[in-house]
Amino acid sequence: MTTNLPKPLKPFTTAFLGFWVFLAAFPFLWMFLISFRAPVDAFSFPPKLFAPITLEHFYTVWILDGFWKQALNTTIVTLGTVTVSLTIGCLAGYGLSRYRGNLGFWILIIALVFRAMPHVVMLVAYKPAFWAMGIWNRYETLIIVLVAINQPFTIWMLRSFFVNIPEELDQAALVDGCNRVQTFVKVIMPVMWPGVITTGLFSFLLAYNDFLISSQLMSGDHMTMTAALSNYIFSDDSLAKLMHGVAGAVSITIPLIFLVLFFQRYIVAGLTHGAVKG
Amino acid sequence: MAGIKMVDVKKQYPNGFVAIENMNLEIPDKEFVVLVGPSGCAKSTALKMIAGLEEISSGEMYIGDRLVNKVPPKDREIAMVFQSYALYPHMTIYDNIAFGLKMRKTPKEEIDKLVKEASEILGMSDLLDRKPRQLSGGQRQRVALGRAIVRHPQVFLFDEPLSNLDAKLRVKMRTELKKLHERLHTTVVYVTHDQVEAMTMGSTIVVLKLGAIQQVGSPLSLYSFPSNRFVAGFIGSPSMNFLDCTIAEENGNLFVDTGAFRLMLPEDKAAKVRDHGGKEFIFGIRPEDIRKRREKKESYSEEHINAKINVIEPLGKEMYVNLSAGNLEFMAIINARFPLKPHEEVELTLNMDRMHLFEKEGEKEAVAHTAKNATTLEGARLMADLDESDDD
Repeated sequence: MTTNLPKPLKPFTTAFLGFWVFLAAFPFLWMFLISFRAPVDAFSFPPKLFAPITLEHFYTVWILDGFWKQALNTTIVTLGTVTVSLTIGCLAGYGLSRYRGNLGFWILIIALVFRAMPHVVMLVAYKPAFWAMGIWNRYETLIIVLVAINQPFTIWMLRSFFVNIPEELDQAALVDGCNRVQTFVKVIMPVMWPGVITTGLFSFLLAYNDFLISSQLMSGDHMTMTAALSNYIFSDDSLAKLMHGVAGAVSITIPLIFLVLFFQRYIVAGLTHGAVKG
Repeated sequence: MAGIKMVDVKKQYPNGFVAIENMNLEIPDKEFVVLVGPSGCAKSTALKMIAGLEEISSGEMYIGDRLVNKVPPKDREIAMVFQSYALYPHMTIYDNIAFGLKMRKTPKEEIDKLVKEASEILGMSDLLDRKPRQLSGGQRQRVALGRAIVRHPQVFLFDEPLSNLDAKLRVKMRTELKKLHERLHTTVVYVTHDQVEAMTMGSTIVVLKLGAIQQVGSPLSLYSFPSNRFVAGFIGSPSMNFLDCTIAEENGNLFVDTGAFRLMLPEDKAAKVRDHGGKEFIFGIRPEDIRKRREKKESYSEEHINAKINVIEPLGKEMYVNLSAGNLEFMAIINARFPLKPHEEVELTLNMDRMHLFEKEGEKEAVAHTAKNATTLEGARLMADLDESDDD
């Protein structure tokens, strides 16, 4: 697209975009920088670009405060959510993409309505019910709730990927000797993996970043990273504690950055996917 | 080997739309049958019902002697070639061709033998390790064919297999498909919207319109003896001229009166019109049955028509000439050696033996030859006639 720009304009766009990226990324960069500093250096005025480096905050958070446990919790919950919602999403998305009746349309609309609801609306109902059933504060419970929140989106997204796989491919497989299940497993899914990766990534981000539900349903040893992090940020007893929070925040962000960089090709493909092919 | 029989087959979609109403069709074993019609005529739906990819709402479908209404596609012993080829993008060409055999648990050595054989027939032995996306359109088409022939099915189903190829390749593949049919000697059902493809490939053509069969017959019988105006207009290019006309009687002779000109009906046609009793018809004449008057030929009308040339499209051997007479407009194919110019007046004569009259209501051919005549006697004469017209 930029190739169509008049030549003299190019340096300006580059400069402007560079400035914009810097502006947008500055808080994160600064957070990253000060997470390796003693509180005195971190909050000195005027701010210092260079200061002695220390891993003290990370040590305190991860080892002494047991952040590794919360990281483990988050990992379990996130992987569980991604696996379950992709499984259901692929089956439902495939079915809906090939189904020609009116019912399919209404199912999708209903899914959209659920997607549009604020998450907290359902929390009001979940929490006392789960409490009464005694399944509060368990991985499965949180996974189920996150899947429920996530599912409409994954179904919609996966469906649109499936729609782009021509039905003739199904038909070819059926004629070639497959039944419906074999068609799905042997012919459709192998073609679908860019869609699965993209959708998986989005549901990963949702589960990984979720704070509202996780913080309400999990506590103690089962707390997730985001919930644990809030304890640091909201406490104002000391600068040191806040610095631990910063170290925690950096720890949460780094895997995300790598993930997005690694899969960015698919994310972009997934985002533009509907636009190009309709 | 097996033929196909459809008895009162109906297709109704859940929303109530009837795509096919009571289709009765018998396709003999080893025949090359073409289903042809404009888009929306349900020709692909009919094909998919034979394949088992579309459910049949009511009626009976037989492949060979077996009722297949409830038989899933994989057990129908059919192979299908799709318009988009529908190759499996994640598999190599070898695996694409072998897939159907693998699904049927064919022993490995035999798969290898069959795939090699099929790829040799189609001349693509050196492509087996590639992926579909590395092939050109024509090559993909071959792979799709290979995938079909490797299984030695009872019936081949082709769903517009050539329409994604460029014009030159299409003509080439047309011949190859015909050769392939000669070689494999299997029943073929071929769907296309292109009447040229239908004429050149089919031994029998089924013309469809809005889910109803219009006419079934050999290419030449459809061309010469269309049963209604739709078939007459659909088969042949440039298509038949249709002019509103009335029947007039004078001195015991019947005349076709279009307003712009009046032509005497030959005796046999006149008799049929008398039997029919109608007065208003649509007069149909193919462009090649209109000639520039030079010397009278026996079957040509005694009267001549004066027409003005509007547009000439030279094709080398002949030219398509758009003419008008009075307020009527029509097309004629005229030998290229006549020095015609636009806006000139010409004298034309019409081959009245090959004219048609269609009823205004229902558009059925009113002076049609009987079916027996159409396929034998008249057919032979038609051939002689066509030869003759060459040395005009």
